[in-house]
Amino acid sequence: MAALRRRRFLTLGVLWLALAAAYFVVPLLATLKFSLQPTREGYHLDAYRVILQDPAFRQSLFFSFKLAVFTVIISLVLLVPTAYWVHLKLPKIRPVIEFLTILPFVIPPIVLVVGLLQGFRWTPTWFYGGYLILVVGYAILAFPYVYRSLDAGLRAIDIHTLSEAAQSLGARWTTVLFRVILPNLRAGLLSAAFLTLALVMGEFTMGQLMQFPTFAVYISYIGQTQATGAAALSLLSFAITWVAMLGILLAAGRGAGARAAQVGGVH
Amino acid sequence: MTQEDLPPGVVSTPPPRSSTSGRGRRWVWLGVVPFFLYTFAFLLYPAISILLGAFQDENGKITMKLVASLFEHGSLEAYWTSIKLSVVTALLGGLFGLLIAHAAIAGRLPRWVRTTLTTFSGVAANFAGVPLAFAFIATIGFTGIITKFLQDSLGFDLYGTGFKLYSFWGLVIVYLYFQIPLMVLVIAPAIDGLRREWREAAENLGANTSQYWRHVALPVLMPSLLGAGILLFGSAFGAYATAYALTSGRLPLVPLLIGNVTTGNVLSDPHYGNALALGMVLVLGVTMTLYAILQRKASRWQR
Amino acid sequence: MPAHDDDSGLDPLLAHSLSRRDLLRHGAMGMGAVAFAAFLAACSNNDNGGGGGGGTGGGGGLTEPPSDGSTVNIDDLAAAAKNEGTLNTIALPPDWANYGEIMQTFGTTYGIKVANASPNGTSSDELQAVKSLAGQDRAPDVLDVSPGFAAQGATEGLFANYKVSTWDTIPDTLKDANGAWAGDYWGAVAFGLNTDVVPNAPATWQDLLKPEYKGKVALNGDPRTSGSAFAGVFAASLANGGSLDDITPGIDFFAELVKAGTLIPVDATPSTVESGETPVTIDWDYLQVSYGDEFAGKLTWQVAVPTDGTFANNYCQAINKEAPHPFASRLWQEFLYSDAGQLLWLKGYSHPVRFDDLSSRGVIPQELLDKLPPADQYANVVFATAEQTDAATKIIADTWAQKVSGV
Repeated sequence: MAALRRRRFLTLGVLWLALAAAYFVVPLLATLKFSLQPTREGYHLDAYRVILQDPAFRQSLFFSFKLAVFTVIISLVLLVPTAYWVHLKLPKIRPVIEFLTILPFVIPPIVLVVGLLQGFRWTPTWFYGGYLILVVGYAILAFPYVYRSLDAGLRAIDIHTLSEAAQSLGARWTTVLFRVILPNLRAGLLSAAFLTLALVMGEFTMGQLMQFPTFAVYISYIGQTQATGAAALSLLSFAITWVAMLGILLAAGRGAGARAAQVGGVH
Repeated sequence: MTQEDLPPGVVSTPPPRSSTSGRGRRWVWLGVVPFFLYTFAFLLYPAISILLGAFQDENGKITMKLVASLFEHGSLEAYWTSIKLSVVTALLGGLFGLLIAHAAIAGRLPRWVRTTLTTFSGVAANFAGVPLAFAFIATIGFTGIITKFLQDSLGFDLYGTGFKLYSFWGLVIVYLYFQIPLMVLVIAPAIDGLRREWREAAENLGANTSQYWRHVALPVLMPSLLGAGILLFGSAFGAYATAYALTSGRLPLVPLLIGNVTTGNVLSDPHYGNALALGMVLVLGVTMTLYAILQRKASRWQR
Repeated sequence: MPAHDDDSGLDPLLAHSLSRRDLLRHGAMGMGAVAFAAFLAACSNNDNGGGGGGGTGGGGGLTEPPSDGSTVNIDDLAAAAKNEGTLNTIALPPDWANYGEIMQTFGTTYGIKVANASPNGTSSDELQAVKSLAGQDRAPDVLDVSPGFAAQGATEGLFANYKVSTWDTIPDTLKDANGAWAGDYWGAVAFGLNTDVVPNAPATWQDLLKPEYKGKVALNGDPRTSGSAFAGVFAASLANGGSLDDITPGIDFFAELVKAGTLIPVDATPSTVESGETPVTIDWDYLQVSYGDEFAGKLTWQVAVPTDGTFANNYCQAINKEAPHPFASRLWQEFLYSDAGQLLWLKGYSHPVRFDDLSSRGVIPQELLDKLPPADQYANVVFATAEQTDAATKIIADTWAQKVSGV
């Protein structure tokens, strides 16, 4: 009886997964078909060729990549010491830190960008007019994911013992941090970096409202001018996100306890 | 790690206290000060700027008129539609996400099913914006392949029923594409915590599937489910890119209103965006507080 | 090391770790992708801040941006502009009145990069960008806005005064006395439709209310911010008992369209036309005709000028007073108002503002003239004066939102 129930349960599960697969895969196939049909007859790769040869495609891709690198640097520089100190010395303020890293969910990008544009109007042009203000916002958006990755990674290694051991051998804090803790944290760092990369590469709202030529803004531009090209570009960006996700999985696969957050940051 | 985190029966010895003399304690805080400064400057200060801006008019005088205008027809409709859309996609996304995640994780299917699902969920959750809009236009737009299929093979005119991709239910279908993966990712750890022994014990005691769900699985999962649902609500409520891509920003949704006011609509008070943003923050603040409370309860089952 | 990671309940964001086989399989792909991305990044050029080209120092003898094009040598202007290196344009779709070819020709002729932003932006967006990006490298240099917004911009002092060298050949009614703006091309409101989706073309405005068009009709924007949509409402008004002094019947008609579920809240763009999202559009005739050309291989796009009321309007060129590239901006206008530039607009099926001057001198190639929609379709078009436009803008601003909800 139990075996019968289990089998029925199994088929039900398979049914749900099949439906899910249909719902998720069919739109992608539809996009693929649309992107391969710039004219009525036949299938051509013209749309892809046009996009890949468009200098704005490369430029916006690299621009977003550049922003992502800066965001990763800022986030890690700020959060690695913070997460480390919280674990080691200041467990009491952990709730405060966690609250602050949850706050970006309460202040979504559409709200944050309004606040940044308004609140920093008085700043000099190299900040307000350059992409630094955008990077600054991106780092805020990345905080929840970066902190979670680092936090998870830190929990998996025994910080206290490592720190104490290193200190008893005469190391200073900087040595402890850079040469003992960080190498053990590699998986968490990598997954934080890739999460931020995926977040920044896909982020549209802030780039659009601050009027910067990010990759997502470029996709929107194409979306308004070339339908077939936009379909091709959508699949290209899908492929690029896959690569980033595989990077996260690669990083997460190393070392027990190094779990990564894989939640999307762009809506 | 605190005592709470360890499995029962294991006692942890507190780590040897390192030097925390007065001077040392001050150095310790230095490690977290940059983070606090940064968060204050670039998260709290903009938020406060919005809060203050919502109560000022163009000349800087204090006024309630902006906040009052939130209750006018146009913006009330936007808030109502946004909330309705977020609630519906949270419920549906939560339900389907739960069923799918449960099938993949607890359904005794091969390992690769779960891995594929999680990887794909990570990608799909990031697919929002123009790519997602185009994917659905290509699928159920006027010339979409499903529309054509329904017409040609089943004689069913989708658009004859009054369906539109920009109607409320059209948006729900599109939003679910990133809501369901979000649910899958968020609920996976909770489903991991649903021990198989419980199901077997329930079956041994004669329970069928629905009784198992009603008396064992759902009560255990409930705090996580509610927490995940709230997260989905927040995700849909703040979503901008997809709705913008579908209609160039002309649906009655709050994020689109804010975007329009900020970039182009010279007809309204520039501070109006602040009032709208403030409204959003309030709605989201309430939901996130609920979320934090529920997550504390959920943590019991995830050891 | 502990076997499990025991994140507290506050962490909902977890993923699953891979087995070694999966790891190796994905590892190669991941590594390769990362390496490739890094290689590409290393090879990329770094100039991605948008806008910002060379310095804005004058060249070839020009130090001050001129206010009258007839007083300067075009080569000096071109040299100064080339020194600036870039022109920031905004809201110029490449297939709008042949702007794609215009921008490209300008770029290659003068060696200047044209950086176009927000192709689907409205006239209102353009003014807003001038204000919000003031003082920055990315601010738009030149604008192409509807007359209502051109007047507004001039009043607010956003524009620089510049009279192109061919200023005298522009009709007086289509330019600002001080040179703040000048009309560039005009067109009339027409219907366009995708005959694959909608086999029958609407002949009149009333036809749009037929059930076969339900959920299929789109404007090119919101009439409060977009010149094209504004003209659409005006044309509908003329067909429904209104006049150039009274746009209210037009608003009421659109309210009816929305209530009937005919009008959809999507802006008609080349992309929505191509993807079939907007099977019937109300837009400028030059756009409709060019869509027919552009998408001939993919779908059949038919143009129909409504017989019961149509309205024509022009757009206006203006230079941002605080343009980051003042010389390039002026060179752009010189190009646009030269014979070559005007003919390029004509090639895009619009009527350039110097049309009469060009045709009287016989410089218009016959093939171009033949491609335009037949002249008798324009027999009944009407233009509004500046005062009528102002009044109508105000009525729309006040009443559109309440009457026409949901769009």
